[in-house]
Amino acid sequence: MVKLLISLIIGILAAMPVFAVDGAQLLAQIDKNMSPESYESYRKIINIEPSGSKKEYTYFTVKKGKDKIVGLFLAPASDKGRSTLRLGDNMWLYIPNVGKPVRITSLQSVVGGVFNNADILALDYAEEYNVEKVEEASGTEYLLLLKAKTKAIAYDRLKMWVNKSKLLPTKIECQTEANMLIKTLYFKDIKEFGEGITRPAVIETDSPLYKGYKSVMIFAKIKKRSFKDEVFTLTFMPNMESLLK
Amino acid sequence: MKHLLAVAIILVLLPGFVFAEGEYDRELKELEKQIEKKPYTFGGYLEYRPILFGFDKGASLYKLRYYDHSLGDTLFQNNGAVWLEGSYTKGIATLFAATKSTYTDSSIESTGQTILYTGYLSLKPSPSLTLDFGKKTMKWGKGYAWNPAAFIDRPKDPDDPELALEGYVVAVADYIKSFPGNLKTFSFTPVILPEYSSSNINDDFGQTDALNIAAKAYFLFYDTDIDFTALAGGSKTPRYGFDFSRNIGTNLEVHGEFAYITHVKRIVIENNGATRQKTFDGINYLAGIRYLSPRDTTYIFEYYHQGTGITSEELKNYFSSVDKGYDAYVARHDLRLLSRAISLQKGGYAAFTPGTDYLYLRISQKEPFDILYFTPAITSIYNIHDRSFSVTPELLYTPITNLEFRLRAGLLVAGSKNSEFGEKPNNYRIELRMRYYF
Repeated sequence: MVKLLISLIIGILAAMPVFAVDGAQLLAQIDKNMSPESYESYRKIINIEPSGSKKEYTYFTVKKGKDKIVGLFLAPASDKGRSTLRLGDNMWLYIPNVGKPVRITSLQSVVGGVFNNADILALDYAEEYNVEKVEEASGTEYLLLLKAKTKAIAYDRLKMWVNKSKLLPTKIECQTEANMLIKTLYFKDIKEFGEGITRPAVIETDSPLYKGYKSVMIFAKIKKRSFKDEVFTLTFMPNMESLLK
Repeated sequence: MKHLLAVAIILVLLPGFVFAEGEYDRELKELEKQIEKKPYTFGGYLEYRPILFGFDKGASLYKLRYYDHSLGDTLFQNNGAVWLEGSYTKGIATLFAATKSTYTDSSIESTGQTILYTGYLSLKPSPSLTLDFGKKTMKWGKGYAWNPAAFIDRPKDPDDPELALEGYVVAVADYIKSFPGNLKTFSFTPVILPEYSSSNINDDFGQTDALNIAAKAYFLFYDTDIDFTALAGGSKTPRYGFDFSRNIGTNLEVHGEFAYITHVKRIVIENNGATRQKTFDGINYLAGIRYLSPRDTTYIFEYYHQGTGITSEELKNYFSSVDKGYDAYVARHDLRLLSRAISLQKGGYAAFTPGTDYLYLRISQKEPFDILYFTPAITSIYNIHDRSFSVTPELLYTPITNLEFRLRAGLLVAGSKNSEFGEKPNNYRIELRMRYYF
């Protein structure tokens, strides 16, 4: 009888591995795999029109901790020198020669296209979302259902498909509170960037709100680097170019 | 043949898979080239800006500006500009410079000039400390159309607030400190601004030669930007201010500015045409919002109270004086009243918005009708007291990277005779700006 009971318990535990997954821990690990604690990166942001014509931006980013990120546009010439800063829910844009840094909001977009400021200046997912549920999407993927921690977050809900073996996202659907799909992010081309960083090098996005349009982020370089907190301040924004090495 | 067919079918059925590898190779190679750090930067733009002015020949400011010209109802003006900017970095030192060369040509004038907008040496011994010496624009304040607390900046043109402003020769330090907790950032910016007319150093800053001291303290406190600004007496009278800005939710920003200015001196024209100087302490303040709607429409709305401004009664007397001066010039070539009016312009009457209370509204729509990189906008400035206002529709289009077209039509609508916008020299102003950035 005891043996039968033990077998039954083992059988039940073996049959439900998904429920053994700690969602919060899983999301923290995904964040860790997506980016180191403190790093610099270079990426291209491309907006592609239905006609196939493109508009491209080159963007240098540095990030520290869970909620500090600054970016600097290196190209095209019309946008060169513009910098962006995000500290938690606060975001600013600085345009040289035009004026002082101005506050921007997460739903605006400094580059146009499908990506908005929340996508371009993305923080760790665990910083903004709680895991409501972890499901087994397939033999190779988990499906995480995430809920925004506050109303200040750009998307109220995320559905995140995650590669089980690599613990990296493959697709994220961004939704409103009423479960309306705003956009889908596709994570592609897993690449080794060195220093143990292996993550998708390409993020594509499309949206039912922008039919036929597509935006792409391509990462060329992600490198661990430490920064002082003072780099992530409004006062430092006009001096962002000094961070380029 | 069968194998070939099978391969062809696979290629057709799985294009995403087959072409995914190396899909962005060109972009990656280009990106790798762009991230090579050079010690210098260079860039700028070329601009061509034709303008058609439609005159209001009965307006006081038309009479004041063109009293000795014989013009038609319209005037076509060609404008060209070259903006050049660059920097060179060695160690902790960077040299920045930006110049603007402009050329204006019309049937009444043909002029050209080159102005050094900024030119300064920046030393950055650490991310916490920056020292700048030279000509620099400080860009204080949080308002979009006006910045009453920006004591050491040239005033913005509320009709085109994003135009670059020429700097002043200054010595500035920026000390920054970050903290965990509710006070996230503190920075302190002391500024020394010399004004010496005999040496042509900042000679348009104020009225008295002096070494001016100003400072700004910035706090990011409870997710709110807060600045305290001050300018000690010198070339201008002492003044103190603060501003704030904060995001409320994902699509709404609120901001405000306040300035207290002591011992403002202004020459005003009385009802009887006589002038007198009045001295007073003035309070200027601004409150505004920036809102992004779910349809990608951006609304910027501001209320501006300019306690140091010119009252509607004073403006009315000024316009009457100009009209009388013009009549005297036409009748007897007597320039005395017009000369007085021209000299008073420096005392505030020439400002684009010289009055005391304004509303500002700008509505811009990102890419309507699925037209990419096209942003139409409309801007209105309303003088609350005399109920006159301007309306400026605008179309901005960047069809290809680095090439920008902006078509604006400034339409001035008068509330009544002697109202601010009713007495502007133009009934309308149509401007096409073409810029190529390099």
